[in-house]
Amino acid sequence: MGKKEEFKKTFSQILEPFALGLLALFFILPIVTVMNLTPITRQIKKIDVLGVTTQDELVIRLVAGQHEIFSGENLTKIDETEYSYSARIGKRGADSYSKPILEIQNNTEEKKVLTFWGQTLSNTRSKIYLQEKEIPYLLQDNTGETYEQKISILPSEKLIIFLALENLSGVQFSELFDMTITIE
Amino acid sequence: MSKLLKKALKISLAPAILMIAGKAIGIILPTVIYDLEFFIENDIEGFTSIQIVFTDSNVTLFVNSISNLTMLLFLAVPTFYFIIKTSLYQTTLQNPRTLVKVTRFNLLKWITRKDVTFLHIFIWTTFLTIASIIAITHTLQGQTYTWIGVGAGVTSLLSVWGTIKTFELETDKIYPKENSYY
Repeated sequence: MGKKEEFKKTFSQILEPFALGLLALFFILPIVTVMNLTPITRQIKKIDVLGVTTQDELVIRLVAGQHEIFSGENLTKIDETEYSYSARIGKRGADSYSKPILEIQNNTEEKKVLTFWGQTLSNTRSKIYLQEKEIPYLLQDNTGETYEQKISILPSEKLIIFLALENLSGVQFSELFDMTITIE
Repeated sequence: MSKLLKKALKISLAPAILMIAGKAIGIILPTVIYDLEFFIENDIEGFTSIQIVFTDSNVTLFVNSISNLTMLLFLAVPTFYFIIKTSLYQTTLQNPRTLVKVTRFNLLKWITRKDVTFLHIFIWTTFLTIASIIAITHTLQGQTYTWIGVGAGVTSLLSVWGTIKTFELETDKIYPKENSYY
């Protein structure tokens, strides 16, 4: 009887660290599962590669990827000549930020001109512009005024368009940015 | 194995399951009700290996907000029930006026049996605080409505305050406040 009790005591002492580990798992597993279950936004591949089915078209692709400021990017084809791009611009410090947002490929035999017009819903005194090969195309200035911009793309040319913004002071909330792209 | 550890393991199981269930139900319900388009990916990105993907950022924001709210409710309701029940149980022992009030509100069942220990409240509050931290983080990242983040913060603070009050009530039993007892 004494030996049995001693064995039981030793066994429970061995078991104790494992039980502690199990208790920790009871806390860690739900956290990891909840993180896994958190939904994200991404385009389905067939939507992502707009116009890729026909070879002689202008193809606009969402670059996507993760960025600390720009998130929730969305590119929608409204009709054959119009696209809509939206993104959430997160809270940020006084600085300049940029992210590649669109990959445009001209598979046609002629030069194409794209018109960009974009704005944020609220004015946060941010200067928002597109950038292509170091050339800035201002969309919205510090006062909230918007500007239409045109970018030309030659036959068989491929462009990477960056979305950039400059802040002279920090912004403590996120805002939505919407942009319309029209093919002329 | 100590009794405390055994009990802690036993108690932790329910909030752990409810936390996951709350999040999952909060995603499934709006997706089914509003017939939302989604797909599942399994890229390894940081902590996560499976991603529930929606094609519209507004839909993602809505679904994530509802799922966080459901998860918080699944944890907050039992936590506050335990805190109120224990507080009532302890207070009725010391104050007959509370007993009269409890009888008037037909809550006598709550004080006839002491089946909730401080460990229950502590573990449930810990899970609620973890869920609140997740909801607040999502709010700061713009993935959840602001009012849910604020609500999560308030709920978490209230539950922590309730837990401290319960702890005080429990310790009063061992070290009574009245000097005459010493």
